[in-house]
Amino acid sequence: MKRALLLVIAVALVAPASAFAHASLLKETPGFKQRLATSPRQVVLQFDQTVNALPKAIQVFTLQGKNVAGTPRAFTSARELVAPLPKLPKGPYTVRWQALSNDGHIVSGVYTFGVGVPAPPVTDAVGAQGPTRTEDIVRWIYFLGLALSVGGIGFRLLIARGPLPKRAQRRFFWVTGAGIVIVLEAGIVGFLLRGEDFLQLPFSRFLYGDLEPLTSGTRYGQTFVIMELGFALVSALIYLAWLTDRNAFLWASFVLGLAFVSGLSLSGHSAADARHSWLSELADYVHLSAATLWVGGLVQLAVVVWPAWPDGRRTAFLRFSRLATVLIALILAAGTYLSVLRLPHLHDLWTTGYGHVLLVKLGLVALALTWGAAHHFIAVPRIEKPGVMGVLGRTLVAESAVAMSVLLLAAILTDSKPPPQPVKPPPVAAVSRR
Amino acid sequence: MIVAGIEPRAEMVHWFFATGILALGLLFLTETVVGPEVWGRRPWRRYLWPGLLFALGVFMWPVMALYTNSMIHMVAHGSWAQVLMLSGAAELGVAKGKLHSQYWRLTVAAAMLVSGTAFLVHEQNSWFFARAAFLHHVLGWTLIGASVFPITQAFRPRSIVAATGFACTFLVIAVFLYCDRDAAPVLGHFSQYAGVPHR
Repeated sequence: MKRALLLVIAVALVAPASAFAHASLLKETPGFKQRLATSPRQVVLQFDQTVNALPKAIQVFTLQGKNVAGTPRAFTSARELVAPLPKLPKGPYTVRWQALSNDGHIVSGVYTFGVGVPAPPVTDAVGAQGPTRTEDIVRWIYFLGLALSVGGIGFRLLIARGPLPKRAQRRFFWVTGAGIVIVLEAGIVGFLLRGEDFLQLPFSRFLYGDLEPLTSGTRYGQTFVIMELGFALVSALIYLAWLTDRNAFLWASFVLGLAFVSGLSLSGHSAADARHSWLSELADYVHLSAATLWVGGLVQLAVVVWPAWPDGRRTAFLRFSRLATVLIALILAAGTYLSVLRLPHLHDLWTTGYGHVLLVKLGLVALALTWGAAHHFIAVPRIEKPGVMGVLGRTLVAESAVAMSVLLLAAILTDSKPPPQPVKPPPVAAVSRR
Repeated sequence: MIVAGIEPRAEMVHWFFATGILALGLLFLTETVVGPEVWGRRPWRRYLWPGLLFALGVFMWPVMALYTNSMIHMVAHGSWAQVLMLSGAAELGVAKGKLHSQYWRLTVAAAMLVSGTAFLVHEQNSWFFARAAFLHHVLGWTLIGASVFPITQAFRPRSIVAATGFACTFLVIAVFLYCDRDAAPVLGHFSQYAGVPHR
């Protein structure tokens, strides 16, 4: 038996095998995100193995979506695909390529370059549709994960300080643990959905589609890498806090988690829009962090404190009520500033899609605020009365649901483009000089 | 591509994890040879291999995030990171006394099954295309087959055969991982179509 096994392995190692492989792109000319001074004469794609040219092996699209590439040819010895180009006018260009590997599988990719202008990010490649409803849902789940994990830890450290009963402690770690896993998984799914959009490939070909232009060439991709690494570390710290019962690990995970939340602000509208500034990025960060702490705290109250820590309900509720006032003030201040920045005119609220979503969000925020105010002004003074605690538990669940709905609209807004800013007319002096 | 500049070199990553897996295998083997009673006389020893397993999972995340050649590679590296962390976390919980059931050992079996499947799924080439492809297939099937050892351990914790098989599996995997680079000057590429060694 052993001899037979050894023989099989030996044959496997020495036998000249038939070739089955997917090709990988090694180099492309013009290069990815390259800004050329003059028009290139051809597009050259160099692979790690021999490839065959398909009818549309290389397509070079103008901004208007017109393919300007000539008939592509494969140069077997050099493992290259080459497509001639006419003289290209100034502008951004999208290259979509596909090659037939020796195993019969097709490998594909997309990249951009510019002639006389900067190359656009691949997320703006010709053919990319932009974020879909699925991406909105995934982003919402991502926000919920942030609230459950980072917001939950904040609640534990700032509100439910000190030792918790065993059952409450277990629930707390279940909720925050689930939250951080959701953040990691939703992050990966969101990244892949964005990749699917710019590659525009059927699923079987998307499996091996080249995602590197998204990682290396966009702010979104770079932020994804940093945030995934950061939240993986946060997950390890949460686990160590559970294992060792040491709050030091929770503090570390809270600080790191809050820091890495900033990645969303550094890669979203506040960092990419025409009127962005450090102040808009800061406002976005404050808005998101405060919402994370608010929603996470509400969930902790409803899911951990109420069912598993009856003795701590009153203290936790009163403490959170005070913190929530500050958080809501921050959310409103930062949100108002960002709305004014992104909607140049008041009528954009009811004339643009972005404005419509914002209006619905504002309506839900108003509902949540009214709910919170009812808690603050009606429930708190009567908290000692019999029966109030039971009712409060149910209303907290409902308020949490409203807050989560707000996060869904926030996710849709994050994926939507604000209306364009009005173009300023050139200064009079500049016009007269022409 | 641009990102090539920031990627860790593939063979370095394989050798790093091979060293970690080798250390794991040696720890398992030592525990099996001396027996769990002697091994457990020093409390810190109980945390050694579960801690290492967990740490390897944490270190796998940079590989997932930085190697974004394709969706299938991201998913494979991500699943390895998560199952390594999960099984290490469960074993650490058992060592610390936070978890009590012997069936937590099944998380290691699940990790091996998921890891093996990921090896097979993310290798787009057939067995005999190149050494790396061949070893990916061998690694995948070894992990899937050897998951029988931790499953046995979950139901028969004192089985010497299962413990020895479990330890030896990690030693074998370490050797495979050390070999798993086409750039190494042994055997080289099998297929004329594989091109110059690049992985």
